[in-house]
Amino acid sequence: MTQKIVIDPVTRIEGHLAIEVEVENGKVKNAWSKGTMFRGLEALLRGKDPRDASYVTDRVCGVCSASHQWASALALDDAFGSDVPDGGRLIRNLILGAQWLHDHPLHFYHLSALDYIDIMAVAQYKGSDPGLNAVKGKIMKLVQVKDTAPLTPRYEPDEFSVTDPEIVTAAVAHYLKALEIQAKAKRMGALLGGKMPHNAAIVVGGVTAYPDMQILSQYRSLLNEVVDFVENVYVKDVLMFGTGPLLPLAAAGIGASAGHYLSYGGFPNSAGNKDLLYPAGVIFDNKTDQVERVNYDLIKEYVGYSWYDDGPGRHPLEGETAVNRDKEKGYSFIKAPRYVGRAMEVGPLARMMVAKPEAFMKLINSGVKPGAVARHAARAVETLVITKQIYRWLDEVTEQVASGKCRIHDTDTWEVPENATGAGLNEAPRGALGHWINIRNKKIENYQLVVPSTWNLSPRDDKGVPGPVEQALIGTPVPDVNNPLNVVRIVRSFDPCISCAVHIIEPDSNRILEFMVG
Amino acid sequence: MKLCGAVTAAFSLPAGFKRDIAYATEQAIKKPPVIWLEGQDCAGCSESLLSSLNPSAEELILETLSIRYHETIMAGTGMVAEHAREETIKEGGYIVVVEGSIPKADDRFCEIGGKSFREIVMETAENAALVIGVGSCASYGAGIVGTTPSEGGGVAEFVKNKPVVLLPTCPVKPSRLVSTIMYYLSTGKVPELDRYKRPVAFYSELLHDNCPRRGQFEKGNFLTDWNDPRQREYCLLLKGCKGPRTYTDCAQVWWNDGANFCINAGAPCAGCTQPEFYAAFSPLYDKQEIFNIGPARSINLDSVGAALTGAAAAGALAHGLGRVIFEKKDSQDQDEDMREAL
Repeated sequence: MTQKIVIDPVTRIEGHLAIEVEVENGKVKNAWSKGTMFRGLEALLRGKDPRDASYVTDRVCGVCSASHQWASALALDDAFGSDVPDGGRLIRNLILGAQWLHDHPLHFYHLSALDYIDIMAVAQYKGSDPGLNAVKGKIMKLVQVKDTAPLTPRYEPDEFSVTDPEIVTAAVAHYLKALEIQAKAKRMGALLGGKMPHNAAIVVGGVTAYPDMQILSQYRSLLNEVVDFVENVYVKDVLMFGTGPLLPLAAAGIGASAGHYLSYGGFPNSAGNKDLLYPAGVIFDNKTDQVERVNYDLIKEYVGYSWYDDGPGRHPLEGETAVNRDKEKGYSFIKAPRYVGRAMEVGPLARMMVAKPEAFMKLINSGVKPGAVARHAARAVETLVITKQIYRWLDEVTEQVASGKCRIHDTDTWEVPENATGAGLNEAPRGALGHWINIRNKKIENYQLVVPSTWNLSPRDDKGVPGPVEQALIGTPVPDVNNPLNVVRIVRSFDPCISCAVHIIEPDSNRILEFMVG
Repeated sequence: MKLCGAVTAAFSLPAGFKRDIAYATEQAIKKPPVIWLEGQDCAGCSESLLSSLNPSAEELILETLSIRYHETIMAGTGMVAEHAREETIKEGGYIVVVEGSIPKADDRFCEIGGKSFREIVMETAENAALVIGVGSCASYGAGIVGTTPSEGGGVAEFVKNKPVVLLPTCPVKPSRLVSTIMYYLSTGKVPELDRYKRPVAFYSELLHDNCPRRGQFEKGNFLTDWNDPRQREYCLLLKGCKGPRTYTDCAQVWWNDGANFCINAGAPCAGCTQPEFYAAFSPLYDKQEIFNIGPARSINLDSVGAALTGAAAAGALAHGLGRVIFEKKDSQDQDEDMREAL
């Protein structure tokens, strides 16, 4: 018997997403990912001063706001011919680094963990640890007055849920501590960017905040605290869960996509957006030892199953689409980007498959197959990778400020060019992020974004090939259709951001751009 | 008690109120039920609430509020989540927080659980005690989203039969939201609002009047090069600052628990508390030749000279300032002028 499950809304993600699955013999047979909200931000930018773009596109997403601002500034740098000075590059890296430090732990603890632990097991904690007993006390206080929102209601725990009171109580303690840590990481970003989320300091040519030693030292002291948590709590928790209670889920490779991975690369270690901390690359069909160069000409977006007027697959800058909610075949506001026709997974797992740091490969070799758990592990490993680098960037900028040689902005290229095009390609926490701009008569003629969740959460393309999340869901065990916990585990492992994913494409000039990375 | 102190300070309440608020908070056993609705949003206001260190996010989520529905943080999903919202509606007397705008072009541009966001807002507001629109999108719609093809509107355009408080900025400043809720709980009243339903306590003063760089403005020192350490504290007017048009306490109450604010980070104010945000304030990074507030109150620099010291006016002229309005006016008049001008 085939049964259909509709999960709408999928909570603990960013934006509005509905997931539909058909379950047959206890397994997902077919899946549909549906973006149910449309904003249309790009239209707002048409005819505006191009320098506004970094501020406005920062508002695409309130979680990874700085990533959009950065990608936009990179597109503008490209169009304006800006040569961002070292200080500007480093401060951008520090603002973005802080954002990653808030984003990844928040995803694990606050958006995902409740899918893996039976939080009510806290009541059974019998140990003598004063910290854990305090946590138990907090939760029991809620239970006593019968007001446990927002921790309940929930799906009921299943066979993969962790129920050991000791582990669960520690996880809840870390959930609460992580609330404080992510707020402190935001404060780090605010010290350099004005506020967080939606910082104000990244503009074309560099940044606006000339730092002083006091601000850098406040940043460093918060960094120490956040990194201590990342190294000693967050990463350890992910590894403990991944190789312990969740190993059956990990070893079964639950939630694997088709194995096509794409990374644009991000975080320049030297001038000219070069020497990237996370390298760029493409992998097809799980052939992880064959990493190919990214050719940005080969990206096309399809709308066959999206609520836009039909048209051929187009490169983002050639797009010509109008919203059409009445299209019968349509089932999502998200488009279907494809790279040489393949549905690419982007994000931490893709980045780590391309970069292959030793710590991650060890996990893969120890039986953690690509899938939902591996995505969490990749996220944790790349957080470690970036923390080490943030210290280097901070040291470099501190030295520049101390010697009075810090330059943060390319003021010579501040004026808007008459006509120009630009591309800004980098890595957001959720994956490969691209912004494209076309300037005509000093105004924005066209602005495009192809964001990580558009790749991951895409519906079927014109050939009927499902998107990465849809593919990842097929085959998932769902023993109880009223409690489809595995389905939401898989969806959330991609860290969906639907506000980012839904946007419209405006008619464009006939120009075709070639975008290549080194 | 820290929280109580913040609330009484925010609304300039007499000391006795601190006790009342403490009492109201002590009744925490009856934490106020909150339904937090997200429409055409970016979750930035939710993230901003979580950025609070004092009170802490933990205190807010577990001790201060009973968050029955909030898509970004709640455990429940799908039907389980929607059921929680429905049950709270039956209970009545809750606070509704709306984040993001409501599409007017087509109800189907924002649907959750198969229902349009407009319907969700209307049915949820029905049994609410108070509705709070957080952030510029829920306040004006006209914010970042309103001028797109989806025609997002603010919550006050839809909810007419309940008290509505709007807390614009992009994103919402968490202390404003918490203070507004605590004030309402302890007094049973909505704080005094201006014509845009913004609490007077946060939005009655012009940023320009309290700006730490006001002295530089008076001297005619305007920043032209972000690299120059000597210009670090200079006025950002030539970089497009909307401070002279923006009513907010940002200069006094900094973001992320006092870490910073836009101008202190060298970034011009974009005017995110105002109905003009964003489109009417574009270009953001260039001086607008004039803040267009109608001919009667337009003042060019020649007449500014009479009000300023001669040196300041000369300095401003030397920087090619063009015409600028800086006289302090009632925010309502000024907004009215802006509306007419638009």
